Amino acid sequence: MTADFKFAIRQLLKAPAFTIAAVTVLALGIGVNTAVFSLVNTLFFAPPAYSKPHEMVQLFSQDKKDPKKFRGFSYPTYLDVRDQNTVFSGTMAFNLAFVGIGQKGDTHRAFSAVVTSNYFSVLGVPLARGRAFLPEEETPGRNTPVAIVSYRYWQKHDLDPGMVGSQILINGRSFTIVGIAPEGFVGTMQILSPEVWLPMSVYDQVANDFSSDESKTTLTDRTGTQLRILGRFKPGMTAATAKPALEGLAANLETAYPVEQKDQTFLTAPVARNSVSNNPKAEGGLKAIAPLLLGMAVIVLLVACLNLANMLLARGTARRKEVAIRLALGGSRWRIVRQLLVEGFVLAMLGGIGGLILGLWSSDLLVASMRRLMPLDIVWLSGPSPAILAATFGFCLLGTLMFALGPALKISRSALVFDLKEHAGEDVVRRRWKFLPRNPLVVVQIAFSLALITAAALFIRGAGKAASVDTGIKPGASFVLEVDASLAGYDPKRSQELYRNLSEKLAALPGVEHVSITAIVPFGMFDVSRKVERAGIHPAPDAKPSTAAEGLAFDTPWTSVGADYFSTVGLPVIRGRAFTEAEATQPGPKVAIIDEILAKKLWPEGDALGQRIQYAASNAPSASGNDAHAGGSADLNETGKNQETIEIVGIVPATRHALFEKDLAGSIYLPFARGFQSDVSFFVRFHSLDSKNEVATANLLRRTVQEVDPALPILALRTFAQHLDSNLDLWLVRAGAALFSIFGVLALGLAVVGLYGVKAYSVARRTREIGIRMALGAQAGAVLRMIMREGSIMLIAGVSMGLLLAVATGKILSGILYGVSALDPVAFTVAPLLLTAAALIATWLPARRATRVNPVQALRSE
Amino acid sequence: MTSTQVNPPKSTSGGNGTTPLIRLNSVTKVFLTDEVETHALSGIHLDIRDGEYISIAGPSGCGKSTLLSILGLLDTPSDGSYALKGHEVANLSFADRARIRNREIGFIFQSFNLIGDLTVYENVELPLTYRGMSSGDRKTLVTQALDRVGMAHRAKHLPSQLSGGQQQRVAVARALAGKPAILLADEPTGNLDSRTGEAVMNLLKELHAGGATICMVTHDERFAQHADRTVHLFDGRVVEDSRVAA
Repeated sequence: MTADFKFAIRQLLKAPAFTIAAVTVLALGIGVNTAVFSLVNTLFFAPPAYSKPHEMVQLFSQDKKDPKKFRGFSYPTYLDVRDQNTVFSGTMAFNLAFVGIGQKGDTHRAFSAVVTSNYFSVLGVPLARGRAFLPEEETPGRNTPVAIVSYRYWQKHDLDPGMVGSQILINGRSFTIVGIAPEGFVGTMQILSPEVWLPMSVYDQVANDFSSDESKTTLTDRTGTQLRILGRFKPGMTAATAKPALEGLAANLETAYPVEQKDQTFLTAPVARNSVSNNPKAEGGLKAIAPLLLGMAVIVLLVACLNLANMLLARGTARRKEVAIRLALGGSRWRIVRQLLVEGFVLAMLGGIGGLILGLWSSDLLVASMRRLMPLDIVWLSGPSPAILAATFGFCLLGTLMFALGPALKISRSALVFDLKEHAGEDVVRRRWKFLPRNPLVVVQIAFSLALITAAALFIRGAGKAASVDTGIKPGASFVLEVDASLAGYDPKRSQELYRNLSEKLAALPGVEHVSITAIVPFGMFDVSRKVERAGIHPAPDAKPSTAAEGLAFDTPWTSVGADYFSTVGLPVIRGRAFTEAEATQPGPKVAIIDEILAKKLWPEGDALGQRIQYAASNAPSASGNDAHAGGSADLNETGKNQETIEIVGIVPATRHALFEKDLAGSIYLPFARGFQSDVSFFVRFHSLDSKNEVATANLLRRTVQEVDPALPILALRTFAQHLDSNLDLWLVRAGAALFSIFGVLALGLAVVGLYGVKAYSVARRTREIGIRMALGAQAGAVLRMIMREGSIMLIAGVSMGLLLAVATGKILSGILYGVSALDPVAFTVAPLLLTAAALIATWLPARRATRVNPVQALRSE
Repeated sequence: MTSTQVNPPKSTSGGNGTTPLIRLNSVTKVFLTDEVETHALSGIHLDIRDGEYISIAGPSGCGKSTLLSILGLLDTPSDGSYALKGHEVANLSFADRARIRNREIGFIFQSFNLIGDLTVYENVELPLTYRGMSSGDRKTLVTQALDRVGMAHRAKHLPSQLSGGQQQRVAVARALAGKPAILLADEPTGNLDSRTGEAVMNLLKELHAGGATICMVTHDERFAQHADRTVHLFDGRVVEDSRVAA
């Protein structure tokens, strides 16, 4: 075997061009697989960064009457579960909160995890430095300003040895850092990490007011649903064995608290790896992408291997005499196959090393692009893990079998006497079979490539549509400026004054046409929805209304805006009026503006203008009936329990709130004074905005904010176009397009190179035949047509097969495509044309060379 | 587009017409390799008349194959003139030479040069295909040619299924099929045993007897004797041009 390896290395060194080409092809194929595997493995398979993850589960509170409905837990319920359960050795609770971290004027948005004091001990994670939270730091109301920071935060501060004990400014308030999380620890998710962990005692101070209706409850309120509970099973306990005990516990709590725990039962499910949710099936869609990505990557590897198999077959033809000699000297066929497989394996290992480097680099690149958009820290451990090394080695072995076994078996099937006499390297066809054995491989390559190119085209079309999606608003040359006065220590009342002042200052700037404040910017990171219903209708608790008139509520995207909002964003008030300045700045009569869709839903036959609506209770029957939105009120004065009614004073056209909003859900707008939120955005609309002056304009806006209050942190400042461009959903669509484009381009490149290689090799080996044809009078055109015809036959076969594969691929991808059908005619036209054009060029080049064959030289052996 | 038609000369019958089928005048061929000039042919004068059977003999490297390549329009002379049927063809374009080669010249190679993945029939048909002939006409000519060399019964076979002698007979049929003005044979017996070689030579003799013009390169004196006339080359020059006694 050692001799085989030595000979293999000698053979590869002897043909450096072949070796470099083969290793490059393999590195591309293996690299894509390594990159995708490293991503998929980290997200879905790699063990989480806490101890004995198989023992950890998340507890869910399920509605017995509507099993699709889940909700979170209140802190008192958590305490009951922690103290009364018999199945967990440890139980902890947490939730995420969006906070501002940093010095005044230099604050950035980040996620924090607000946790119970036993969070780290239940997860079995020792801190890198300092201590975990103390039980007294968990006590609601104590509001203890202590924090544990992430390792990345520490890294960003150059691993400052004095970090523990130092201060960190969170939401404008100083917290003492008591600990540092260990390297690689990301909480309960895989790569998305909070930047800071806070004790439960500060929950009411840092919880986001847009999180839910229920968030208006304080932590000690038993009706709250703020928390997620994770438990560690006692030894030997499983979900099945724990089920009766947990159901019993839920029943006991329902008996003890018949209102708060009505119809609730408990169940466990594995801890979500990539989200924090109340629903155990929240990650189903994400998981479906994993096999898809791996499948596509394996196809690229397959195309690469087919390519290499062609190269090996071509090389094998040239080595026929060598193989014949080995056989003549008594070598068994298995011995020859082994020799050729060893050569393939050496190539695969070399390609694997290249692929590993390429794969790790490209996955780092992907994560870096995601990092720019995510408010969460992405903890991505670069470098090869044992799993990635093992997978890459697996790809090498798989690759060897895929590309080397077939050619090895074929080449070793030597016609001994004939081959010993044959001129080495000359293409001698002994069968009446127009396609040489290597050609079907090219056909398959073309087919798979077309499937991948079509998939890429579908994604690119989707990304194009997503990028040009009609939001419904036309803010023209607008900047979006996001600030949060609470991060500078302002209370709501002073914040309102500050915002009024800032709004006036911004409106006075040269070139500014309109300015308006808004709580929510369409296509932003968050949206808020409220359940609204016709006022004055109170269906019975068990009633199932089917119409608005019967009391059906509608889950509707919500925001609060300034008086000039509709002019600023180019949304005409179709009927009624816009808010007055007084309504927008001073709490007055309760008024709202809704869009046509909500108007139609609430009063299908009548006129919504002048009618009154109210917020529905969270458990009210609603048309959408789910909690897909973050949900909830941002109105300090209006809660779900407040049954005061709101008059509809205007109706505006429908707008889109998010990229993946399939059916427009309607909108409700409140005057900002009635829907205060500390985190706000200003639309600053200019008469015109020259892209060359964007930086100068941004600086002007920044200076204006600083003039109002230098401590007021600017959380975002960009044009509306840039705001849309940085949308996370759009990133997802674009990332998909980029990923599949890489697959497609690689596959296209490999197929074209493969086709070129086969034709070039064929022309080289058929020089004598071409010479004969020319001697017999074949014109250059006839030779060109002959080579092109042969290439075209392969192309037609490949494209035909590829179109079938593309249809199947399109169907598989249809669930994750944006705005394009699985059989999009543009994608299904452009992709085959692109492939055909590239393939024809790849065929034409060697065909043109064939026409230049000198018959005298070709026949010189005469 | 250049259009050079080589029409049959008025005096094509018999070997004593006034215009030779082929006339080479002071033809030279110089190869340049690594800045070294190699004079493969120097001032060749050669007339080949219609119906003649001429053999070109000489030691290895004397320029026989180069001369045959020029005669067959596979190559162009460095200097001098080459008239085929009275028309100058020395400096025609590649395409025109290919067309004339296809219509006027039939090649017989030493190693047969049949195309492996074409049947006997298809091999013989090949030059007619390049001529743009209809399938019916091609069939007639191919059948006639195969009949003439006694290989009609092997029409559907592949070259690899034939013996060397049979392959050369197919090659002869291919050369004959288009009814060329001249057959150029380059060592046609070189890859055959003496008995099979003799049979092929007899076939050529029969063709000549039937009116074919043949120019054959050989270094075998025995086979050279089959021709009417032998041209001896040495160092790229004609050193002897003799009639063979009947």
